[in-house]
Amino acid sequence: MNMQSKRPITAAEQGLVDSFVNRLGSLPGDQTITEIRDGYIEDIKRDGLPTRRIEAWHYTDLRSLLKTVPQDTGDTAGPVEPLVAGSNVLAVAAGQADDAVAADGIQISQYRDALSDGSARSRMAVHGADDVIGRLNGALTRDGFALDIADGVSLEKPLEIQMVQGGGQGHARFPVTIGAGAKGTFVERHVSVSDDSALVSSITDLKVGDNAEIVWVIAQERGLQDTHFGQINIELGAGATLTLFVANSGGELVRQEIHIRARGEGSELILRGVNLLGGQSHTDVTMTLDHLVPNCVSTETFRNVVFDRARGVFQGQIRVAQIAQKTDAQMACNTLLLSDDGEFSSKPELEIFADDVQCAHGATVADIDENHLFYLKSRGIGDKKARAMLVNAFIAEIVEELEDEALIEALEARFEEWLDHHG
Amino acid sequence: MLEIRNLHARIAEDGTEIIRGLNLTVGKGEVAAIMGPNGSGKSTLSYILAGREDYEVTEGDILYNGESILEMDTAERAAAGIFLAFQYPVEIPGVATMQFLKVAMNEQRKAHGEEELTTPDFIRQVREAAGALNIDMDMLKRPLNVGFSGGEKKRAEILQMSLLQPNLCVLDETDSGLDIDALKIVSDGVNALRSPDRAIVVITHYQRLLEHIVPDTVHVLYKGQVIKSGDKALALELENNGYSNIIKDAA
Amino acid sequence: MPAVQETIDQVRQIDVDQYKYGFETLIEMDKAPKGLNEDIIRFISAKKDEPEWMLEWRLDAYRRWLTMEEPSWARVEYPQIDFNDIYYYAAPKNQTGPKTIDEVDPELLATYEKLGIPLREQEILAGVQESKVAVDAVFDSISVVTTFKEELAKAGVIFMSISEAIREHPELVRKYLGSVVPVTDNYYATLNSAVFTDGSFVFVPKGVRCPMELSTYFRINEKNTGQFERTLIICEDGAYVSYLEGCTAPQRDENQLHAAVVELVALDDAEIKYSTVQNWYPGDSEGKGGIYNFVTKRGDCRGANSKISWTQVETGSAITWKYPSCILRGDNSRGEFYSIAVSNGRQQIDSGTKMMHLGKNTSSRIISKGISAGRSNNTYRGQVSAHRRATNARNFTQCDSLLIGNNCGAHTVPYIEAKNATAQFEHEATTSKISEDQLFYCMQRGIPEEEAIALIVNGFVKEVIQELPMEFAVEAQKLIGISLEGSVG
Repeated sequence: MNMQSKRPITAAEQGLVDSFVNRLGSLPGDQTITEIRDGYIEDIKRDGLPTRRIEAWHYTDLRSLLKTVPQDTGDTAGPVEPLVAGSNVLAVAAGQADDAVAADGIQISQYRDALSDGSARSRMAVHGADDVIGRLNGALTRDGFALDIADGVSLEKPLEIQMVQGGGQGHARFPVTIGAGAKGTFVERHVSVSDDSALVSSITDLKVGDNAEIVWVIAQERGLQDTHFGQINIELGAGATLTLFVANSGGELVRQEIHIRARGEGSELILRGVNLLGGQSHTDVTMTLDHLVPNCVSTETFRNVVFDRARGVFQGQIRVAQIAQKTDAQMACNTLLLSDDGEFSSKPELEIFADDVQCAHGATVADIDENHLFYLKSRGIGDKKARAMLVNAFIAEIVEELEDEALIEALEARFEEWLDHHG
Repeated sequence: MLEIRNLHARIAEDGTEIIRGLNLTVGKGEVAAIMGPNGSGKSTLSYILAGREDYEVTEGDILYNGESILEMDTAERAAAGIFLAFQYPVEIPGVATMQFLKVAMNEQRKAHGEEELTTPDFIRQVREAAGALNIDMDMLKRPLNVGFSGGEKKRAEILQMSLLQPNLCVLDETDSGLDIDALKIVSDGVNALRSPDRAIVVITHYQRLLEHIVPDTVHVLYKGQVIKSGDKALALELENNGYSNIIKDAA
Repeated sequence: MPAVQETIDQVRQIDVDQYKYGFETLIEMDKAPKGLNEDIIRFISAKKDEPEWMLEWRLDAYRRWLTMEEPSWARVEYPQIDFNDIYYYAAPKNQTGPKTIDEVDPELLATYEKLGIPLREQEILAGVQESKVAVDAVFDSISVVTTFKEELAKAGVIFMSISEAIREHPELVRKYLGSVVPVTDNYYATLNSAVFTDGSFVFVPKGVRCPMELSTYFRINEKNTGQFERTLIICEDGAYVSYLEGCTAPQRDENQLHAAVVELVALDDAEIKYSTVQNWYPGDSEGKGGIYNFVTKRGDCRGANSKISWTQVETGSAITWKYPSCILRGDNSRGEFYSIAVSNGRQQIDSGTKMMHLGKNTSSRIISKGISAGRSNNTYRGQVSAHRRATNARNFTQCDSLLIGNNCGAHTVPYIEAKNATAQFEHEATTSKISEDQLFYCMQRGIPEEEAIALIVNGFVKEVIQELPMEFAVEAQKLIGISLEGSVG
């Protein structure tokens, strides 16, 4: 930390500070919010962007990776077609939600209002000095939705929250509260609609009530020039079941953080992730999972496919508190490294303080299995086709764990399209 | 040899009562079969006899050779001659079966104030007992129960029983998972251990095993109690008519 | 109360105070003044009668060390070390270097006898064991005797203290010292480079298979004294050596620092097998006293088809900070790391390995078994990396942790970095406790609880124990029992 303050400020750091300065006066917030924003931008100025010396950013040296920051034009584009046809859509750019969404038991409000009247202040805490996404978003956020699903409500259609960007910058926050016993599927979608480079930060705070059953999909499909900083902070209530599916298939510099706290006994987390990495991109998925109470189950499986000169990172840390007996946590990170110029680094950590637990993690890095390839070819399938089939199968295995057929089809279609481009 | 008096026992963790006033007497030289539908408490009874601490005895007593064993821990009971052949023998990675056998035999000898076995004596005993059960010595070099087939596990249990020479043998569903040949081998192993000084309690769901290990007495366990006792004919009756009649009669 | 709960309570009550090697040898010592400065380094160098280049090397290291910061990334906590409150040189009086066995102070011989280390060659020869082990005995800052030197020399093997080697084989030492662990590698390695006092030197020439096991036995005896040993092992083309290392220290209330550097060099087709049984005093059950074991060990598979294998059994030390590593530079080279780390009381272990795949067709294997009990923390930290040109790099890692009791922690921090599409890395880690089913099963066969735990734990670590030379394996098994239970063994 001390070492950093001695360094000169980088162009990107300056760009972020400038974005803030240029926006002064137009960022929503009362006195308190403004002070908090001010504090965060000061923190960024003082500490700079993290280097690999900061353990949480060990494989994503942001200081050297983030070269420039696009001008904050402030324009977000209009909504796009949802991932799953027929979903209700809430787009950051579109403002008001349509009537179909605001049914009984679903409350939607503009996050901007919470900033303006100061009630958002409790949402603006960061995880610590290494939470750059929290700082950045805290300083610059101006949009978003607050969603409140009442107890016992079942959503009939998926609800898609879109953050659509056409170059420039976007910073949004989505506080979501799911009531006890509520059910539903949510898609958090990040898309770009132009080739102009964009820098986006997005934080979702998802509180899952007791015995709720939720499917939450994060589909990040940003453009090839874009920087995407995503963070989702999750609290799981007692007996809650959350299926969290994280799919990255875009962006030039991507960091998606997932922070989960299992706070109620008997909860279950099913976390699955697919990272399709190509071009010159750098994609980092960092997860922390805190088991704070007994009798919770979690499984985390990530499948990564690396093409071209892409670099991928997975950091997963499972922490089991002393009282969290009978925790069952299983983490796996499997990578197909298909290019000699690609890289993948993983750091799957276990930190265990309770003795009566079953915790495990596995990590593999490999190319396509030659035996499998040979088998397919021996049946007359061409090399390229055979490889594509095997890559698809590698991903399909976890996509198909989802139960919603429409969702599976939509994700698979998206992945196939991506693979056709890169395979 | 074994006398269970008005035994009540529950699961220590949540207090669920499983055994509810069970009475049973098994004499020296006797082979007693305990039969009963699923969930009647058969396996629990075997665990309680062996002293598993997941169960709490709340009332009654278990007398073994006239003395209560409730205060004895599992290893002490084993050293006193109580042997449980498990329904699902547990795997212990890294511990070779031979090593395990040697430790177990010597610990029991130690408890009896006897000298430890010399290695040649030990190997000779194992070789003899294994031969009788058609167990390949190579299997015994493998870690205990790790990767054993169902039949191998059960044979390994009987091997231990014959090596440890217990006074009271409790066989928990020993026939489950065995094909007919393996069942024959295992039964022969048990029958070889029948002696006027030894009691054998065979816990089973089916009559099948009792065709090979013919019991002197048959007891029907239901909801944690012995609701009917008889001779081997009772087992046949159960096989033909099921448990429902007896349960009705008892109620 | 479930059976395991009771075991936990028992283990909780057992102190680490069962340490068997906690006695102190009363012998007159020759010491440098306390503290660290250039004069002390000159003093050490002069005591050892070193050539000028060696002194310069040390001074250079010292000056660099002054600009460095203590690392803080490991999961260990300890109060700031006052590097000026340590004696950097302490040697038994009248003992300036290894002598023949008849000249060694009888008090020292008695010490090693008490530790079970045979120093008299004729006794070893007369012993029941057929295999011979040559021993270099290092007492605080100095090597007191090296056995079987002549017999080894006949085979062309050089085995002597590093101090002697600097005088007698300067060309070899100069060529290899610091070539695997550079002077500025890390804070403690740099400190060691400045002040190292003794350690072993092994050179096995081309084509020679070392005719016996070599071993060094380290003993810290004096109060407030740091031990800074330096070991250098070189195997030329096609050579082979198996080397063992053991360590103990008296029971003291203060913490003592042990900052060693070990460098291994394997040339074409050479193989080095390095085994450690580390049993430094771990401190008492409240965490008072004990050794800080901050060690840099690295092997360089410099030649094609070379192989380096590390096996460690870590039961001692208040804090262990140690990552025996392999640089897989030569094509087809292989690195192995087998580790058992047992922590009890307030011990803190942060240990693991690095496998750096640089050459083609290199392979590595990591088997780590951590056992935590008491209020200890036990961390595996490991790195496996495949360089861009390291085609067909292979790694398999299995990392298992066992918790005994609910006040300890077990942590796994692997770094897996692949920059080559032909790399195949597999990493598996598990954390669990001794299952009640296993314990019940053993006890049902008449095995008392403590014995049953020892049996299951020894099963858990079996894969690693198998890698140790026979004589060590038995010792290690006993040691693990003692570390966990005190009375069991």
